[in-house]
This record gives sequence, C-alpha cells and structure tokens, in this order.
Amino acid sequence: MFNYNLQLALKSLKDRPSLTFLTILTIAIGLGLYTTIKTMSYQGGQVPLAHKSKNIFLVQMDNREITAEEVDHQSRMVDTTYKDTLNLLAMEMPGVEQTLNWYTYGILNIEDENINPVRATASVTSSNFFTMFEPPFLYGNGWDKATEDSAEGVIVISKLMNDKLFGGKNSVGENVRIGTNVLKIIGVLDTWHLSRKFYDRGFRSGRPDNFFIPHTYAIANELPRLAGFDCWKADADIARSFRNENTQRLLNSECAWVTFWAEVPDEQIENYQQQLVNYMEGQKALGRFPREILTFVTNLNDQFAYINGRDDFMNVFSIISTLFFAVCLLNAVGILLAKFMRRTKEVSLRRALGAKKKTIIAQHVIEVAIIGLLGGLLGLVVAYLGLQGMMNIQIYSSDYTRRLEDLQPLFALDFTMIANAFITGILCTLIASIYPIWRLCNTPPASQLKSQ
Amino acid sequence: MLRMENVSKIYRTELVETHALRKVDLHIKAGEFVSVTGPSGSGKTTFLNLAGALETFEEGDYFLDGQNVKGLSDDKLSEIRNQKIGFIFQSFNLLPDLPLFDNVDVPLRYRGMSAKERKERIEHALETVGLASRMKHLPTQLSGGQQQRVAIARAIAGEPKFLLADEPTGNLDSLMAQQVMELLEDINSKGTTIIMVTHDDQLARRAHRNIQIFDGQVSDIEKAVANDVIRSA
Repeated sequence: MFNYNLQLALKSLKDRPSLTFLTILTIAIGLGLYTTIKTMSYQGGQVPLAHKSKNIFLVQMDNREITAEEVDHQSRMVDTTYKDTLNLLAMEMPGVEQTLNWYTYGILNIEDENINPVRATASVTSSNFFTMFEPPFLYGNGWDKATEDSAEGVIVISKLMNDKLFGGKNSVGENVRIGTNVLKIIGVLDTWHLSRKFYDRGFRSGRPDNFFIPHTYAIANELPRLAGFDCWKADADIARSFRNENTQRLLNSECAWVTFWAEVPDEQIENYQQQLVNYMEGQKALGRFPREILTFVTNLNDQFAYINGRDDFMNVFSIISTLFFAVCLLNAVGILLAKFMRRTKEVSLRRALGAKKKTIIAQHVIEVAIIGLLGGLLGLVVAYLGLQGMMNIQIYSSDYTRRLEDLQPLFALDFTMIANAFITGILCTLIASIYPIWRLCNTPPASQLKSQ
Repeated sequence: MLRMENVSKIYRTELVETHALRKVDLHIKAGEFVSVTGPSGSGKTTFLNLAGALETFEEGDYFLDGQNVKGLSDDKLSEIRNQKIGFIFQSFNLLPDLPLFDNVDVPLRYRGMSAKERKERIEHALETVGLASRMKHLPTQLSGGQQQRVAIARAIAGEPKFLLADEPTGNLDSLMAQQVMELLEDINSKGTTIIMVTHDDQLARRAHRNIQIFDGQVSDIEKAVANDVIRSA
C-alpha cells in the first residue's frame, strides 16, 4: 500500500506542477530565512571549549568603595586589579589554572624593509592562557612561566600577522619590533574560530587577536593598555591616563581593569571559592575590600546563556523569522487546502471503493512529506544564500576589517543545522497539513458520487 | 443475503429533520436482480447509500451477507464496501487521468492483492465488458457507454456478492443503455446480486423484482411473475 500511496502522491505532485512548486517555494522561503537566522544564532551562541566550558570561570571580586551601588549580577561587576591578579596567580592550588587578559596595541615591524609595518591590537596575558583556552598553534608554542617571570620579550602572533609579515612561512625564532621593543616570535597561531571572543568579556565575534605578549613584559615596557579602568574616586580623574602612563600608580591603585580567569576542576570549585573569600578577608585586614565580601565565579556556560539571552539583534530577528515562517506555512496551508479540496470527488470515490480513512491520510501525508522534503532542500539553498548575504553584509559594514576566513564558521550550515532544517521543514509542513488532510479524509464517501 | 429491519435514516440540521427513509423492512435474496424506483427525492439514493454501507443510519438493523452493519467502525465499513460490494454510478465516476487498467485497479489496490492477481482480474473484467483492447486508454477517449462498461468492470473485478447501480443508464442513449442492461443481466445470471436504482420503468420491469420508494417508505412489489407475463406477451 505504501508504494501505491507513493505513486499517487508523486502523480499528484506532477499533475499540478505550478501549485506544487508554489507550495514548495512558500515553505522554502520561510524555512530559508528561518534557517539563516537560526544558524547565525546557533553558531554565534556556541559555547567555546565545550569540553570544559563548565570549568572555565571568570573571577570577579568586589573591591569597590563602600559608597558604590549594589551589584547583583556578574555582568555589572568590575574586573580585577593588577595586584590582585598577581596575588591570585601566586596561589598554589592543585589542578587550578589561572590567567589574565587586557589589551594593548602597537605597530609591528620587521627587519625586511619591503614589508609594511602593521598596526594591530593584541592580548596581554599569561602563560596559562594557551593551556586554558587552547588556541590552535601553526608553529611553535606559547611561553612558559619562567619566561614570563623574567619578563622576556617573546610574542605569539596570529596567522594573519604571520601571513602579512612573513608571507606565511614558519617565523618562530624571528624578531619583531613593537615601537622600540624587540620581541622574539615563539609561536604562530592557526586561524582560531571562537563563536565569540569571551576572554576579554567583549563577546564579539569574528575579530581574533593579532598577537599575544606576556603581561610582565607589557608592564615592564609600559606598553599601552586598552582597558576600562574602574577606579576609586581618588584615581577617577586620572583614570584615562592609565592607558599610556602612570603605570606605577595604576599598579598600586584599586583600579579594576584586568579580566581574570580560572580553570577549576569540579571537585575544587567550592574550595576555590573559599580561597577567594579567604584572600579577600586577608586583604580586608590590610584595609582593602571595604565592602561586604562578594565574589562572582561564573563559568562560560552561564556567561553565554546570559549573553545569548541579551543578544537583541538575534532575538528580534529570531522572532521575526519564526513569524515569517509561520506566515509562509499558513500560506502553504491555504494552497494545500485549495489543492486537496479539488480532490474531494476522487477521495469520495476511493472511500466508496474501499479505501480506509487511514489510507487516504497516509497517501496525503506522503505527498505532504515530499513537499516538506523538497521545501527543506530548497530552503537550504535559500538559507545558504541568505547566510552568504548576511556574511558579506557584516564584512561590508566593518569596512572590510573583518575577514571572510574568521566569519565563515559563524555562517556555516553544519550537519546539525541541515538536519534541523529538514526536520523542521517536514515536521512543520506535516503540522500545517493536518487541517487540509483532516478535511479531505472526512469527506463522506457518498457525498460527491451523485454529482454530474 | 441483504435484510433491513425497521431501518430509518434521518438527516438533521439545526432547524429541520428530514426523514429520508422510514422503517424500511426488506429482504433481498442472493442472486436476485432488484430494481428500485420512485420519484425524485423519494429516498432511492439514500436507500442505495445505506445498502452500500456508504452512510450510517440511526434506527433499525441491516444485515449484509449475515453481518449486522449497524454500529460498525468506519474501517470495517470500508472493508465491507471493498470486499462485498461493487458500485456503478450514473456519472460513471471514473478517474479521468488514469488509464482504464488503473481505474479498474483502484478497489483491488485497497484489498491488498498481489500484482499478478490484480492484473489477471483486471484483464478478465475488461474482457467481460469488451474493452480488453483499450486498457491503456484514458476514460475521456471513450464514449459514455464504454465508460459505463469500464465502471462495471471496476465493480465486478473484485468479484463482489452485491452490485449496487445508481441509475447506470441515466446518462446513456437507449442503445447503449440496452447494452449496459444486458451486461448487468449477464453478470446477475452468474450469481451476483444486483440492486439497481432507475427512473426507467422498462428497465425496472426487467429486474426480478421491483421496490418502490415513496416519501422514504418502501413498498416491496414481487414483480417476477408479472415481468414474465410482460416478456412473454
């Protein structure tokens, strides 16, 4: 019976090709837009380091003045002071790794006069950054703790910088200048796809860092600091100057500006939080941390859940695309209803000749499933074109500062999204067809047989 | 073989109740050829629809081939229609975009027969109605009489015990009507019970027995003897 129903379904699709195509197109357009937005939302919302994201924590301690306002969420809590980051880095805890991050910028130059200098922003961080966040290396490695402690001039550059400065060859061991500072390249990163760059708390996508240098070196050589300085009143007036000067005052101040991260195994989480409290109490005794002790230790999963929930652009477009898809499905219902209702006489006859209701339903479910499948296929084509369009819009709107290579993963239709589109296409089409099929299969067998 | 006891059919709307059939008592034996006559709107088609298990009824009992049809599920009624009843309609009701072979195939498909058995039955049925050579034609390529013969082939292909014909000659000229009638008589002579609704008194008289329906009430008239008298006259 399946074969017969399949034959009838295919015949029906071929009999009225324009109606069939219109139904498929309606579903495809709706599904295409829906899948485009869904893919962007899905890819952009992917939590990096999925295998250990629950163990990667942003660490924040409330060191603000007593007069500061209450904060009930980590997103509104200040970062960490540099002296606290150094103290926390010095804490020995088995299985726990910690790192820090802020931004700097500089003009990278090499000896070869034929190569133009490149102005670039970069991350200042610690040796654990590379083991905690696992960026892929093309050549070499990150620096070790000893190198960091001695504030050696080492640098890890991105693939883009390596391509620009060294034509893509293995540049490990080469020197690069940032202003008057000479740094030795010890590692070259491969293209690092992060759905959002989380480690600076910016959560922006498609903008990888160009190079990485040790924080000890950056401080010792007074490299510029691109950061927001949350200072106490005493330092508030000169906070902006901390970007390029007053390094010592910054280091001694209560200005919070360093993003601090910890990787803590499950069994150590409680202990780690207690250590933070102990540390704060110790510092309190020294006259610091005037407020009630408050820490935020937030893992990547929770941060992404919060960020994804606040992504107004994606949320609004998700609603719009879902509504649009619903409207397309309603249109498809109308077309299917019109198509099926033209068939009442035939269905009435088939029922009279012995077809059971479920057989009539099966025949039309097969037909609708094929429409859904074809709608899904065409919808994928529409979604692919939509994603390419959205990607090019992003590149264009960034004045071409963002690269195709960095954005592509955020607009990629992977297996999950393809399967999602197919299942959504077929399922929604079937749901949409319930009413037309119900109407049709309830045609009384005698109702149409007397008509001329 | 077919027995109705106190069968009533009422069509209800919010405002009106229409008694299409009132307390029908009827017994049709196996192998009979029964004609059903009556004025338009008297309930002939309703009677045929009930007899063919195309509609349900509210009161009474209806035994078809020994089985009480009342209260059976929709699926069960479909099975009965498919296996025990063949339908012939005034307007032929062939599927216009299917060749004759596939038209005759429709009820057999729903019976779940093998392809081989279906093919044999279809060819035999089309041969019986004299259209074996045209099984790849579409209905629109045939005359009205030929189309009705295809409908008959479709009705007999499953070898049903009953053939229900609703004005089978209503859309045909007299010559073609004659041919169709002869075909039905031939089928009846092989043992198939036939119930035929008609407006044509002459055709009605050719049946073994005539049932008249007037205002939903059936009067069962034994015509066999009278017909014999008419035919021999």
